[in-house]
Amino acid sequence: MSDKLEKYLEEIGHYLSDDGPGREEILSEIRSHILEKVDDAGGRGDEAVLEKVIAEYGSARRVAERYQEGQEIIAPSYRRHLFRYTALLFAAHFIFALLGVVFHDSFTVFPVLFVPKMGIFDLFMYLPMAFLADLGFVALILYFVTRSKKDVKLPWPKFSVDLDQVAAQAKPALWSEPAGYIIGTLAMLALTVAAVVIYSRYGTIFLFSRHGTDFRPFITPEAGRYLSLILIGAWGFGTLATAARIFIRSPWINVISNVVSLAVVRLFLRVPLDEVLIYPINEPLRAIAKNGLLALFLFIALMVTIDLIKNLVMLGKRKLAAERSGRPRP
Amino acid sequence: MLYSIVTHTLQFISVHMADNEVKRMEITEMNRGFLQILILALLEQSRYGYSMVKDIEARGYNVEENTLYPLLRRLEKNGWIAGRWELGEDRPRKFYEITAEGRETKARLLAVWNIQNRILEEIQKENAHVR
Repeated sequence: MSDKLEKYLEEIGHYLSDDGPGREEILSEIRSHILEKVDDAGGRGDEAVLEKVIAEYGSARRVAERYQEGQEIIAPSYRRHLFRYTALLFAAHFIFALLGVVFHDSFTVFPVLFVPKMGIFDLFMYLPMAFLADLGFVALILYFVTRSKKDVKLPWPKFSVDLDQVAAQAKPALWSEPAGYIIGTLAMLALTVAAVVIYSRYGTIFLFSRHGTDFRPFITPEAGRYLSLILIGAWGFGTLATAARIFIRSPWINVISNVVSLAVVRLFLRVPLDEVLIYPINEPLRAIAKNGLLALFLFIALMVTIDLIKNLVMLGKRKLAAERSGRPRP
Repeated sequence: MLYSIVTHTLQFISVHMADNEVKRMEITEMNRGFLQILILALLEQSRYGYSMVKDIEARGYNVEENTLYPLLRRLEKNGWIAGRWELGEDRPRKFYEITAEGRETKARLLAVWNIQNRILEEIQKENAHVR
């Protein structure tokens, strides 16, 4: 009969933070209590009674947690510091990672920061891990502060917008002057139409002219067609998205626009941009052109990604703010 | 901008976490102070955990076992009660008894308890007049 009890106690022991004698004493006391209660219920040797008594005692995890109340890993008063400090550290980490990519070099600020040599795509793999490492580092510091049991007043940098401010500003942030969107739509439409006209005439929109006449393509016909169609598609979508903002007040338009923009950048990066030029250029210039274009697309992709994350987070926060205030979400 | 995004994300997560925690803690919070005084009062006589549960039940109140034992452990760590294992009948039991330091603490806590009771009674009387 005690197999079930021992299994239950083993499970409690698994969740307890006490070690050695402390843990054994806790488990012995619980064992003694449960057996006495089973006897009291006249159920010695009765599996069903034992199971009932164990169930009444509570889940192993919950029981173990009761012994750890008041022993928080990070004190509640420092919880906000955890998030704010992580954000600050990650921002610094992010800047160093960008510098690492641009200068193709590694950076070390022991023990807080290590940025290895990496390329653009490595960067996207690296950043989530960097975030987790930063969170862990800040958590460790706050753990030691909590364990010290001292009233340490940590600095509180204030840069961000709080939840209540977001809720209050939600409407104005969503909607600006319709006239701006109308002008924007007309400009985007003009750009798209001009691109379509040029493309239908020359088979590409990548043209140059030395004297304002006699326009000639400066990239290969195949790449010219491919890149022109991508750009025309992107501008066409931009026109529709800007026009939609005149009539529809939804942050989802921004999110969809961000996703489309990222897709466009990805399609552009599939083309070896230093090999599509028709006219021969010397090697140093080719390297500059290649790295310059790569840096440009990296910058665009990062800006769009940041904007996308911001829009998604703002959507979540607005939903939460609306739920808390009982208002329907915008 | 990046800093703002990370902060927004983390705040969003933390608000959810905090809400759940408040719901979980609010019931046990009410009993915590009372149980502390109750245990200190009961342990003027040497007792073990299960006997305390039965005693409290006999007085018309309930204490969860998984609340009692961690509380006993905390009081023991504070030096307010002392525990010793005894091998009685067919199984070992841990008996507890209040210490001199525990008695001083109990006296202080009871003084606070009496003031709280008096205040509540006064307010109840005032409310009865208002109705």
